[in-house]
Amino acid sequence: MKYIILGASSGLGREIAYLLAKKKNDLIIISRDERDLRAIKDDLEIQFKINITYFELDLSSFEKIQNFFNSNPNIISEIDGILMPVGMTMESDIITNNLENANQLIQSNLGSVIYFVSKFLPTFIKKNKGSIVGFGSVSAIIGREKNAVYASSKRALESFFESLIIKTLSTNLKIQFYVVGYLNTNLSYGKKLFLPKGSPKKLAKTVYKNLNRNYYKKYFPVWWIYITFILKIIPFFVIKTIYSLFFKKNEK
Amino acid sequence: MFEKKKIKSFDQSRSIKIFIKNSEKYKDLENDSRSVENLITMGSCYSYVAAAFKENSLSINIKKFNRILFFDKEKKIITVEAGMKIFELLNFTLKYNLWIPQIPGYPFISIGGAVAANVHGKSCAFYGTIKNSIKDMRIFHKLYGWLNLNLEENKDIFDLTIGGLGLTGSIISVTFKLEEINNFNFVTTIKEVKSISETIDFLETSDKKNLIYSWNTLDLSSDLKSFGKGIIFENKIDEKNSLNSYKQIKYTYKKILSPLKLWNNLTIKYFNYLFIKYQKYKKSVYRDSFSNVIFPFYNKEIYFSLFGHKGFLESQILISRTRIDEFLEEFNHKINIHKPCITLFSLKKMSGEQKYLRFEDNKICLTFDMVRNNKSTVFLNELYGLYIKYNAVPSIIKDSNLDKNTFDNCYKEADIFREKLKKFDPKRIYRSDLSDRLKI
Repeated sequence: MKYIILGASSGLGREIAYLLAKKKNDLIIISRDERDLRAIKDDLEIQFKINITYFELDLSSFEKIQNFFNSNPNIISEIDGILMPVGMTMESDIITNNLENANQLIQSNLGSVIYFVSKFLPTFIKKNKGSIVGFGSVSAIIGREKNAVYASSKRALESFFESLIIKTLSTNLKIQFYVVGYLNTNLSYGKKLFLPKGSPKKLAKTVYKNLNRNYYKKYFPVWWIYITFILKIIPFFVIKTIYSLFFKKNEK
Repeated sequence: MFEKKKIKSFDQSRSIKIFIKNSEKYKDLENDSRSVENLITMGSCYSYVAAAFKENSLSINIKKFNRILFFDKEKKIITVEAGMKIFELLNFTLKYNLWIPQIPGYPFISIGGAVAANVHGKSCAFYGTIKNSIKDMRIFHKLYGWLNLNLEENKDIFDLTIGGLGLTGSIISVTFKLEEINNFNFVTTIKEVKSISETIDFLETSDKKNLIYSWNTLDLSSDLKSFGKGIIFENKIDEKNSLNSYKQIKYTYKKILSPLKLWNNLTIKYFNYLFIKYQKYKKSVYRDSFSNVIFPFYNKEIYFSLFGHKGFLESQILISRTRIDEFLEEFNHKINIHKPCITLFSLKKMSGEQKYLRFEDNKICLTFDMVRNNKSTVFLNELYGLYIKYNAVPSIIKDSNLDKNTFDNCYKEADIFREKLKKFDPKRIYRSDLSDRLKI
């Protein structure tokens, strides 16, 4: 089997890459950092005797993704699955974010995933085989002040995966979507969080286990399913009131 | 973003607040290093002393830099990143009947830490320190960026970096020359000795290729002839039995907790009595596993826990054969005056040439642990005078009590190291609690 992993140089992407390599799958790993990708390729090939191809690609650029597919047209027919644990955040991601940053955030968290799916889906449907795995975020449950564009992109991504499920209902394709809570990666490093961080290694194992299952949506760590449920049933005006009472009050 | 965290040295002597960052990407490492005035690199943080951190300063943890970058079985060469743990390296190389013989006593020690401390392990009588296995290194320095270090390129910095306590920059990858290993099992022979003198005679006359170390008990008020009765362990690679394929060993990380202090003169006396009885009860020659021999403290972490929250003091010194008897006489005398609680006393032979901060020489290596209290500290402070008098070399990374004066007097090249380091890095960017204490 051969898989593509986006964002494979660190965090969850790296864990998934190591697990798939350990299980003797060939991989195409993609991220922005060529040096990290080369180190991962060397390590995986030496340790597991598999074939790794890497591409340095900035997923926040539509043009670069387009060029990537133009230069590597054969890639599509070789692949058995695509896993897209991409997540780009910015300190400056607030509602008044400048448009250039906002575009980059939307493109890397949402646009790149849509692009990859649109390229692979016709071939997967034709073969009636293939796995597509996306990763959302609990930050998309309700609107927020920080990481506003990131959260919006992740919410849109969830909607996109719902559409994908509907589109592939009569096929044998395996579509999975993980709503991910705080993970012990550099994205959450040094941040004060009110719930414990999940292990990316553990999530990678879950992803691997479910790769060939008809599975739609899973929350990780699992307690986020309950938190999401509660937040979804509370009317938004209540959330607004809580926010203004507790958070905005502190700001004043 | 850095995390503020309270961290303790392994011997529990220092507990301070630091800033810490787990770098995972090369770019993160560069940006994090450039964002602060002072920093130090952290591997597994298993140094007895505070070598990987400094109060309110940044420690960059490189545990995610743990990949194999190059391996050539025929040429017996491997390049690994410095955050890789010793057991991870061995689990890979032993599959090809290769290893580096200079292995520190605990599997979770990082490669970078092992190089920065110039570790030796039990095979040091024959193989010396890890320096002898290093072919090449790559470091990142805030001022100079990426540097390749070897005997041709940046030779001086290469020399300063091995055993240089991480003060020349972040060690990111290391290339080792590997040695063949004929079997993964050892044959252990136990020999009872009546004194330290008898132990030393055995060390001098035995086959240097074997891994030999002693466990001596120190009874108060004994004369030198009967001072330090104990056991000598001689581990020899089992060459008679055929080599089976290597099965990876899973090492489980164990947190060392210190809920209560159980070691004192009485408990240690009974423990030693029972330990020796148990060793006598066992066969004098038996087959031993790789893990048991190479990592003697793995699965015996309780030994450290029983020192309690105040921890322990360890002193490890190199002393010449010709002066050790005189030294031990005075050492014995001071024990009888101060009555420190010595929990472990061990000897082995070491080879090499002492240079800069490196703990190596063609001398006897003597190690002892003590319960950390006032008696032990006073005793150790008095011993420093003896170290200077007898030209002994105390290990910097084992003794958190070691002062600048003793260090300067015992390490003849301490000032040369300081000068060369200052010339290389005039701002003295890479600093730790340890380097500040010794004014390096």
